[in-house]
Amino acid sequence: MTNMDLLLVVILGLCGAGIVLPLAVEERRIPMALGSLGVLASIALLCLSGVSLFGDVSFHASLWTIPSLATLTLSLDRLSALFLFVAGLVLLPGSIFASGNLSAYLGKYSLRTFCVAYFALFATLVLIPLSADALSFLMLWELMSILIYLLVNFEHELPEHTRAGYLMLAIGEAGTILIALAFIILARGGSLEFASMKAIGNAFGEQARWAVFLLAFFGFGVKAGLIPVNFWLPQAYTSAPRPFVPVLAGATLNLGLYGIVRVNGDLLPVATVGPGLVALIIGSVTALLGILYATTQSDLKTLLAHSSIENAGIITAAFGAGFIFVASNHPAIAAIAFAAAFYHMANHSIYKTLLFCATGTVDSSVGTRSIDRLGGLIKTMPLTAGFFLVGALSIAALPPFNGFVSEWLTLQAMLQSAELASTGVKIVFAICGAILALTAGLAVTCFVKAFAMAFLGMSRSESAAQAPRARVSAAVPMAFLAVLCFLLGVAPTYVIPVLDGAIAPIAHQALAADALVPPFFSRNIHHGELPAGFVADFHKLGAQIGQSVMPGRGLVVLHRGTAANPVVFAMSTSYMAVVLLLMLLGAYVVFRLIVARDRSVERRTVWDGGIRRLLPEMTYTGTGFSNPVRVIFEAVFRPTTVEDTRETVGKHFRAAIRRTRGENHVLDRLVLDPISDAALWVANGFARMHHGFLNAYVFYGLGALLAALLVARLA
Amino acid sequence: MSQWVIKGLRTGIKSTRYPRTIETAPGMSPGLPVATRMSPDMAQMMVTRCPTSALEPAQAGVDVNLRRCIHCFRCARGTDSPMEWERERDFECAGVTPNSNDHDRRFGPAFSRSIHILVVDAGDCGACLNEVKQLNNPYYNMHRLGFFLTPTPRHADLLLVVGALTEHMRLPLRKAYDAMPTPKRVVAVGACALSGGIFGRSFMCAGGVGDFLPVDVEVPGNPPPPLAILHGLLVAAGRKPPALLYRRAEDSTEAPG
Amino acid sequence: MPPELLRVLEEAKARWTGKVRPSLNGGDAAACHLECETSELPAICNWLFAERECSFGGLIVEQGTPWQLRYVFYGQDSGWTHVVTYLHAGEERVPSVSRLIYAADWHEREAEDLFGLEFEGHPRLGDFVLHNDVWQEGVAPMRKGFDGSRPVTNREPDLNWKPRRIVEEAGAFGMPVGPVHSAAIAPVYFQLETVGEDVIRAQPRLFYAYRGLEKIAEGRQADDALLIAERISGTSAFAHSLGLCQGVEGLCQVEVPERASWLRVFLAEFERLRHHVAAIAGICESTGLAVSAAQAAILEEELLRISGSLTGHRYLFGMNVFGGLATDLDDAVCRRAAVQIAQVSDKLAVLQGMLSTSSSFLDRLEDVGKVSVSNARDFGLVGPIARASGLSRDLRKVAPYCGYDRVEFEVPQESEGDGYARLRLFFREAEQSARIISEIVQRIPAGRFRTPETALRPGAALGWVEAPGGAALHWIRLGEGGVVERYRIVTPSFANWHGFRLAAENFAFQDFPIILASFALSVHENDR
Repeated sequence: MTNMDLLLVVILGLCGAGIVLPLAVEERRIPMALGSLGVLASIALLCLSGVSLFGDVSFHASLWTIPSLATLTLSLDRLSALFLFVAGLVLLPGSIFASGNLSAYLGKYSLRTFCVAYFALFATLVLIPLSADALSFLMLWELMSILIYLLVNFEHELPEHTRAGYLMLAIGEAGTILIALAFIILARGGSLEFASMKAIGNAFGEQARWAVFLLAFFGFGVKAGLIPVNFWLPQAYTSAPRPFVPVLAGATLNLGLYGIVRVNGDLLPVATVGPGLVALIIGSVTALLGILYATTQSDLKTLLAHSSIENAGIITAAFGAGFIFVASNHPAIAAIAFAAAFYHMANHSIYKTLLFCATGTVDSSVGTRSIDRLGGLIKTMPLTAGFFLVGALSIAALPPFNGFVSEWLTLQAMLQSAELASTGVKIVFAICGAILALTAGLAVTCFVKAFAMAFLGMSRSESAAQAPRARVSAAVPMAFLAVLCFLLGVAPTYVIPVLDGAIAPIAHQALAADALVPPFFSRNIHHGELPAGFVADFHKLGAQIGQSVMPGRGLVVLHRGTAANPVVFAMSTSYMAVVLLLMLLGAYVVFRLIVARDRSVERRTVWDGGIRRLLPEMTYTGTGFSNPVRVIFEAVFRPTTVEDTRETVGKHFRAAIRRTRGENHVLDRLVLDPISDAALWVANGFARMHHGFLNAYVFYGLGALLAALLVARLA
Repeated sequence: MSQWVIKGLRTGIKSTRYPRTIETAPGMSPGLPVATRMSPDMAQMMVTRCPTSALEPAQAGVDVNLRRCIHCFRCARGTDSPMEWERERDFECAGVTPNSNDHDRRFGPAFSRSIHILVVDAGDCGACLNEVKQLNNPYYNMHRLGFFLTPTPRHADLLLVVGALTEHMRLPLRKAYDAMPTPKRVVAVGACALSGGIFGRSFMCAGGVGDFLPVDVEVPGNPPPPLAILHGLLVAAGRKPPALLYRRAEDSTEAPG
Repeated sequence: MPPELLRVLEEAKARWTGKVRPSLNGGDAAACHLECETSELPAICNWLFAERECSFGGLIVEQGTPWQLRYVFYGQDSGWTHVVTYLHAGEERVPSVSRLIYAADWHEREAEDLFGLEFEGHPRLGDFVLHNDVWQEGVAPMRKGFDGSRPVTNREPDLNWKPRRIVEEAGAFGMPVGPVHSAAIAPVYFQLETVGEDVIRAQPRLFYAYRGLEKIAEGRQADDALLIAERISGTSAFAHSLGLCQGVEGLCQVEVPERASWLRVFLAEFERLRHHVAAIAGICESTGLAVSAAQAAILEEELLRISGSLTGHRYLFGMNVFGGLATDLDDAVCRRAAVQIAQVSDKLAVLQGMLSTSSSFLDRLEDVGKVSVSNARDFGLVGPIARASGLSRDLRKVAPYCGYDRVEFEVPQESEGDGYARLRLFFREAEQSARIISEIVQRIPAGRFRTPETALRPGAALGWVEAPGGAALHWIRLGEGGVVERYRIVTPSFANWHGFRLAAENFAFQDFPIILASFALSVHENDR
């Protein structure tokens, strides 16, 4: 038994303990048990995946064979290890956060159920990336759907939660069916094991490839939150209980992406440009719609849920770009695109978990998540505000935090479409790049709104003015995640080589690290491919500064082009962070010591135009802040019902102007409503047949018989 | 759009050359009553004729308190009026109060060519406010002298108050003054802001802002013409010498006419 | 006497037999008085407003024994109708008419606030003229017993007062603007309720510049009241002093010399021209078209200087006295001024031509701040604002004074009711004023500029004037020795501020300053 087997057994053992223990201990001790077991299991998971990811160790185990069907197999390659490692990074703080927030439900809902489902899900999350045959994968996938349903519907007494849970379950099942169909096609060789599926990849024709791609893409897209199958996501995220949302957002969404990459990048790699274009377009549009709806939300949790859709869209678009580059035989650029995608996936998991933790903390302290009722929390909850700000800066892609690196890489990869031959594809790239750039801009608006309206200004409710500070169980995971946001932001040159192992098999080239992170720090640089003049130029710019303190490749991310155009793009967030810090310090010093040496700063109340009292209800609300976006994109939002009830006394006196804005989500309008309308129409047709005359039923029977005979005759 | 550029250029320069030279265009200013030597009987008649007690009887004739004069012209019109009415250089009439000598209310050299002004209407009739607005028109163009209107007290160095200070404007005016950074000065413009004018003291009007805010410069008139206000601003900035607001008949050189 | 006035009288007599005591005033101030029981008040007022299509001029409350309430109406053909009611002794309640005549809304609120009368059925009483965060309820300064000459010391204001909000929509908030806002602007506070882009409700809170003019005029000599009238609104000083003069002259049956009447028309039209040029300058400035704003400001300053050299005062203060003018104007000077005014009018025409071809300017005005004719009528809008919406009422035509019936002029009218219609109307009225000036300057007869002696006598009378902003009423009651007992001022801005929300609501924030400028409202005239 190797170390890895041992680690896996430890993880599963801890999960098993998490399932069994709650049945034995007192209910009020469950949070503690959940926290400690969760942390231990997460650490074990990080070790397991870390060994594989950093040590390039793989692992393969056949468990048992089900006769005439399949051999259940577990396997750990670096792609699985990457996803597992990210899951570990989320589950570690997530478990602490869950343990701290769970006691609020004591006495109202069964904590035992939560704990059992939580660890069952933990085990499933670990096993899905490990499973290496379609049968175990599908069984685990199905189990995961049910467990997520149980956890989302934890507060089952609220009808909207139950509704959201059912919707999620229904769409999830539909997704599973699509995935199962994809595997059935893939299993044409007779074996359900991934390894053998991969082996017969060349035997598939164009149509089968398309079928597998579409089935897998949209089947997994359900979990990943891609249009048009993501309408369950905002509702489910909003309904999910506080202790569970961070894990839901940080870990389960990634599994959808994992499925897409595993099937379309690994098992049956995309060979033509078409599927890549589909992924690129769907991803870009998903991102835009996600951020549009996020910007206009007033519930912080729903806002973050829509923003998850946005991020899933960006990642998918980067995957799409990667697929296209692979299919067009540009593996080096494809590797950049995949690096961007994986990087963004990891980033999203981390900052989204951070943001959901901060939102959960606000929710538990204030009792509401509505931005229009928050405000001024930076005074009462300074720590939470700071962590939320880090998360908001990261997700809005501002340096020196992690979101910047991956979004910058994504857009840079898109710009490389100039290398492609087909003009049509270039145009699609240009449009999608513009959409993603717009998305990035809107994301800034969205999170300026989220942070400013919730944490700055005046408190819009009594409870916001007296909100208690975050507890340790919330502050520690947030701090951990915030530090990760910063580290991933300033040290991309240390992250990209780690990602490289996962990229290599799907990009068919293991050179991503060399292409993106040249070894400026290494002394024997001339053994590499870098031309001496090129290195000298960069040394003049100071690219080697720091080499004596930090071992590694260097601190500059760049993409090398041809001799005529030696540098396609270059950037160093590490140096940028240092410069930013120096500038801030310098500005402070100059101001303090020179400009304001003998001046004191007086604090006065806000200038209010001279009215008696400035009230919180006179300050901008989140809805008001985002209303320009709503107005500009009215074609998308298309508010369906604007009721304008003017109660009047006499003809012109007004008692109230009441407006309710009914908004039908664009997907509901274009996808769900036509389907449900059609279903109802068909059902009505059938209902009309059931009007109860005996003769009619006899006629139906006769008709059916005749039809059957006719079909049989023709066949 | 080019038509506007051409129109603007063809209009030429309209701005007055004041304060470099004195402005003499007709209709600039309503003028001011002059403290005049006259017999005590005449003086008494003039004093009763004045509705706001701007004229005060004195040994030599009639003293004039410019803070109170509302330009009703009752002392100037008619055949039986010995009062003189000044029309030359009459707009250079802004005076200073003892407040303006406070060291911490002085503007330093940084303010010599840039002063931002917050205008607060504390309840006037609209004429003073309109004359303040005229300072921005091409004839007076106060930007050329480094005066700028600002909508917020946060940027304001100088508070220009017009109006008699109504009950309802006490709080806004106080808040505006308090919100201004130091050093700050107050210029009260118009008879109403100086003495209450025709509105006087009542249940609504405080009879001027002097008791409520530390006024530095007083600009008399009802309304003071734009150049008088400009003179007041220059006095506040220390770029013009102040004038006297209380004028005595005994200082008057002219014999009764 | 207009024949329609007799018809009003007959019909009132027939409809409310025994309940209404009609009577007629002859002469210049031809008016029909309908004295009725308090209970009949809403029905009669509604009949005049809705069926006879009269405009509501104003409500005049007089405290006496008994209380007298006078509702003044005027019709296009029928002239003045006063509905008068007396309250029973000890009773201080009146049925509200504002549910039927919305134009009376603010009049009733003001009377409730200042006199402490109760208007039964009015849904919005309370904080209006007297701000509740400065005064407690129950202070009634217009009552005879209230000493208006000294500050009120015992105050228990409601410091928790906050503006009423009526918009109920997720994320709605009330954006506070003012009372100290913008650069050099009269004090007014706007509560703009919105969810971000459009102003859903625009509620002005006025009376920051309330100086209690009606109260402080009481007990003073009538000619001091004239100084107060000039300072209702400095930019319409001549019109308001003219209104008071005509009230007093009508009451005391003073014959105003022919020359003075003509000169008054000359000056009144001159003031209207200047007012409209200032309004045009304001509109140009609000749209950010700097050159046009500067051009209009140049014209305004030129007109102010012409005033200054013609009368000695840039705002025509001190010109009107009872029985004529305070000083004579030299004919040659008048003609020279008329020539200058004609030049200004020509420049104004050039400016209008240029503005009408500046599409970026028109985009900001066209279809912005629309007021329909029916709303204009219901809200009792007056003056250029009403005429831009197609409601053509002009006191110079409805009830001519000062010899306006001998002057030929046109009352311009537009129908769109948007910002551009108001701008065009200001231009057209300014042109008409310039034409009137150049016409009558040739016709000013020689003679006295003032009646030598004006004997003031007790009684009450209505003076009216079409001020630059619209119809203004001045009700003056004199006691023995020419002492003012009651002075009621109904100003055009009071009516038009009431209707301002019609234009401002449901437009984007960036249109708000333009709509405000296009209304050319005077805060001071409203607040008094």
